[in-house]
Amino acid sequence: MTVLASSSSSSPLQFWGYFMDHRSEDLGWLWDHTWLSVLPVVIGLLIALPLGWLARRYRWVYPPMMSITGLLYTIPSIALFVLIPPIFGLGALDPKQVPIALTIYSVALLVRVVADGLASVSDETIQAATAIGYKPVGRLFRVELPIAVPVITAGLRVALVANVSIVAVAGTIGMSNLGQLFTQGFQQSTPDAYYPPIVLGIVLCVLLALVLDLSVQALNRLLTPWRRAVRT
Amino acid sequence: MISSVITWLNDPSHWRDTRLNTGIITQLEAHLRFSGIALLIALLIALPLGLFIGHTGRLSWLVAAANALRALPTVGVLVLLTVMIAPNFHGRTDTGYVIPTEIVLVLLAIPPILSNTYAGVQNVDPAVRDAAFGMGMTGSQVLLRVEFPCSLPLIFSGFRSATLQVIATATIASYIPLGGLGRFIYDGLAQQDFPQMIGGGVLVAALALSADLLLAAVQRYAVSRGISGRISKKQVAAPDSRLATVTQAEVATV
Amino acid sequence: MKRTTFIAGAIAATAALTLTACGSDSSKSGTGSASSSGAGSTATIASKLIMGGPPEFKTRPDGLPGLQKNYGVTFGKYTVTDTGGPVTVSSLKNGQIDAADLFTTDPAIKSNGFVILEDPKSNFAAQNILPIINKSKATDGVKKILNGISAKLTTSGLSDLLTKVQVDKQDADAVAKQWLSDNGLATTGSDASGVKLTIGSANFPENVILAQIYAEALKAQGASIKTTLNIGSREKYYQGLKEGSLDLFAEYTGTILQFIDKTAKATSPDDVYAALQKALPPNLIALDKSSAQDSDAIVVTKATADKYSLKTIADLAKTG
Repeated sequence: MTVLASSSSSSPLQFWGYFMDHRSEDLGWLWDHTWLSVLPVVIGLLIALPLGWLARRYRWVYPPMMSITGLLYTIPSIALFVLIPPIFGLGALDPKQVPIALTIYSVALLVRVVADGLASVSDETIQAATAIGYKPVGRLFRVELPIAVPVITAGLRVALVANVSIVAVAGTIGMSNLGQLFTQGFQQSTPDAYYPPIVLGIVLCVLLALVLDLSVQALNRLLTPWRRAVRT
Repeated sequence: MISSVITWLNDPSHWRDTRLNTGIITQLEAHLRFSGIALLIALLIALPLGLFIGHTGRLSWLVAAANALRALPTVGVLVLLTVMIAPNFHGRTDTGYVIPTEIVLVLLAIPPILSNTYAGVQNVDPAVRDAAFGMGMTGSQVLLRVEFPCSLPLIFSGFRSATLQVIATATIASYIPLGGLGRFIYDGLAQQDFPQMIGGGVLVAALALSADLLLAAVQRYAVSRGISGRISKKQVAAPDSRLATVTQAEVATV
Repeated sequence: MKRTTFIAGAIAATAALTLTACGSDSSKSGTGSASSSGAGSTATIASKLIMGGPPEFKTRPDGLPGLQKNYGVTFGKYTVTDTGGPVTVSSLKNGQIDAADLFTTDPAIKSNGFVILEDPKSNFAAQNILPIINKSKATDGVKKILNGISAKLTTSGLSDLLTKVQVDKQDADAVAKQWLSDNGLATTGSDASGVKLTIGSANFPENVILAQIYAEALKAQGASIKTTLNIGSREKYYQGLKEGSLDLFAEYTGTILQFIDKTAKATSPDDVYAALQKALPPNLIALDKSSAQDSDAIVVTKATADKYSLKTIADLAKTG
């Protein structure tokens, strides 16, 4: 533990210096980490919207769909990463295995969120919308989905923050992202611990998660102006 | 491929320990041990804390702080703690690797249990709480006899979500490298032995599902029928279905 | 009230169970190898020892199967640590394992006073470092650059590079650049311009450094380079080389030969190199081998070596 206080180049506090020395590499990994965290959630949401709507529209679909998505969560991500190539006919080291695996997790998470979000729209609201002349499709996009936005964005926040952590796991099997910093620090920790890359990786992951989380909150505010109107 | 996985799982020699290979049963025990200890510690920390914060309304920033823990990259923290702790242990012991693993799993399990317990107590109908005080109950009686039972559904949902995450994530112990079912996944990966790797994944998923079913059964007995709504056919809505949704829908980080 | 009691009971029961499990574990891990106890003087030395190394060492031909076949050595237990990395070194140092699979160039062997057991039967064949490259990417310019590197690479030079990265905590890419300029190989030019290469590395520092040396030299000569480092075991990355998602890799002649041809018998550097050229699939070629050698080795602590008078791997099969 005395290492924590030491001022040698192995001290955990040297992570900033480490970052400055490796800016281009680290920023490249940060960028890879960012799109690997975000893109699967976006694609996942696009897939989850119709599925969640189905689960809401046809009630009998809901239980089996939730069981299947619940089952997907229990697959450890490291196993899912390596399972993807044989299933999708990709090369063993195809970097696409990571976004595909994360998209599967995101869909599994967001289907339930979308279905429950749509369920959070009260019957009175739906009846009122129908009464003022909305057809089912228009009602879905102009009334039900906007009202479901807070629930859906809450799910998006969970999915994004979880993805940032899972992407790092892919770094341990050679994929290019901030997880590489952990592998690197681990390997250089002989004969003694080498903290800077490990601490830097943690700091960048937390910052990334924070920024993504705040962005979704901002998006939520933008999409639900009526909530602010009530509050002020 | 499916048949080769089934063959792998069905081979009795993969279940027993041999001289050079640790069998499924031993690794399953290790996996349960890592997960069980972590969940127990997390429960002992998060449940009383959540009840206290929910009941008194004090220290509620702790809930937000615990939720911020979710942003920590699991592998990173594990590697950090391992290089810090492991070299300090000598002799035939894996304690130096077990401690980092347990810390990481506890950090993972605390947020869902704490925030759900807090939300559960917070969401107790104020009228019910008033009535309890009106009957002459003391603060701690209200907490233990009214607020706690009323918030059990949410507490269970948080604990189940924590259990799923911890069991799936305990595979990561094999990265640093301990035993547990993750051993089959990482060894299979290194040896390019796909049946072993997928078999390991299947075992983890099966374990997580069984644990969840078990907890669902416990929940059925533990939660008062007046709260779960099973007493009448009329479905009573969960106190805050939105919150339950989001916390239930946690992704395992490994 | 009843509910609360029930829950409290359930928690207590779980606690008791977990603690019991804990207790049984510590007693189990304390004994390490159960099979050795009571075996008396007929037991081999190896059967009293715990061996540690990467997962694939259990199955690869020059791993445990080779030790058994060549020396009749069977360890009491095999524990997965990592690929010649920090876990293996600290486990050996701290006594979690008694013998380890480490690389001969590892500076930790010297700094910890570990003893490399001699390998008279060449279980680990000659291991010259050389580039394995996809034929379609091996233009004359690329070949010239990579062969130039192999001509300068030596075992002691490699050890120095490794010390810089592991002990002095310098970066692999900086160390690679420095080595290139020290050896007059950092010249910029256009020998490799227009060539697009993906260079991979296994998950141990030396291989990362070698990949960086190739990458920096080729970049300086105009190639467009992508690196995929720390992929994992050979079992894993070799698929990428075969399929063409990786173009270039720093390999070790003996291990890659045995990996492709499980029955390979060659042991001397030249024989291994010749056999490797024949064994490679048609889309891969081996360029010039360097004189730098880095082989797997069975390594024990000084204390273990003294206790059992161990000099060679064969000594492990003796009874004692």
